[in-house]
Amino acid sequence: MQLTHLNAHGEASMVDVGDKEETRREAIASGRIVMQPETLALLVDGALPKGDVIATARIAGIQAAKRTHELIPLCHSLALSKVALEFDIDVAQSCVHVEAMCRLIGRTGVEMEALTAVSVACLTLYDMCKAVDKDMRIEAVQLEHKSGGRRGVYQRSTDAPIVTGDSAAREVSLGERCDAPSVRVKFLAELRERVGESETVVALDELENCDVAGLKTTLAARDAAFETLGERRILCAINQVMANDSTRITDEDEVAFFPPVTGG
Amino acid sequence: MDIRVSVQHEPFNGLDDSRELGQGRTDIGAVVCFTGLVRDFNESPDVTGLTLEHYPGMTERTLEDIGQEAWKRWSLKAVRIVHRVGYMAPGDGIVRVSAASAHRRDAFEACDFIMDFLKTQAPFWKKEHATSGDYWVKERATDYADAERWHGSR
Repeated sequence: MQLTHLNAHGEASMVDVGDKEETRREAIASGRIVMQPETLALLVDGALPKGDVIATARIAGIQAAKRTHELIPLCHSLALSKVALEFDIDVAQSCVHVEAMCRLIGRTGVEMEALTAVSVACLTLYDMCKAVDKDMRIEAVQLEHKSGGRRGVYQRSTDAPIVTGDSAAREVSLGERCDAPSVRVKFLAELRERVGESETVVALDELENCDVAGLKTTLAARDAAFETLGERRILCAINQVMANDSTRITDEDEVAFFPPVTGG
Repeated sequence: MDIRVSVQHEPFNGLDDSRELGQGRTDIGAVVCFTGLVRDFNESPDVTGLTLEHYPGMTERTLEDIGQEAWKRWSLKAVRIVHRVGYMAPGDGIVRVSAASAHRRDAFEACDFIMDFLKTQAPFWKKEHATSGDYWVKERATDYADAERWHGSR
């Protein structure tokens, strides 16, 4: 893995994104500011000396997202199509959770904009409340989700279900990388319940044939529960594009098996 | 192309998209907005709710592809596709598709087309909760027949 903002000499360098394809990109970042319960109560009641704290922090976050390139040296200036901030008052933990979503159709990711929006919204909350509370802490500013672009979807692992379907929380994520050439195999919805697991890793050298049919054969040999993958109704996607039995499988592919869709 | 897609846990905003789509422009003559709701009867007569699962990433991309295909086939001004995931109770909105065009026929047909392909191609799965137990909803041949109608046309 190479740092994209350093050139071969280790010098800072702005990435040329001119040749990248324009895609719909979205990033969600979150953070929180912890404060005294009394401060939070004043904030909720709108009784702080500087007025409506949340509305001010929201505008600050939106403005900050638009000006990220002025703050972070190697960030491109982006024509954001959407910036939205959510504030969640958490009395139990005596804090305000801040979440920012940035979106655009473009050639470069928007996670810096989302992270900047969260950071500046938290700083604004601090500024608005500091007259009554100097012990506030800004914490856990982090990327939650990113989509669009060459590297696919990033989703921070949490306890919250991203993919629901049964009582246990499950999620689809890119997961850890394996050293030996291998593929990650996911089972979705009804199929996940039938095979009894949500994902597994299969080394490419376990496969007699490096295609979907070969993968099914290998899995069925591993456990009879996987024989169900041979049913005609079961569908397959490789790297989130529909595939069939003869589609080739290569290192680091994400293979998903699932039943016919029933949305809408 | 003015196509926006959202897969979300939150309920939809407002009653429909016609106000939002028409705002600040006068070239739109028709907005058709379809909303699908959770019924209290389906495969069993006493559905108490359902949980929708999706495949993050692929689901959004599939919806965008369907929107773009509609854009190619009809003369459209805007397309919105919102699909909810997670738990929903009877009466809740599941999906909302809006198509805006200069004349009504394009909007009606595009909306119909998008729903037919959404139901047969977008990776969503419904699990129904009923007083008798939970079960995964089966795919329906009529949905595939509906989608088949569009092959070869246009």
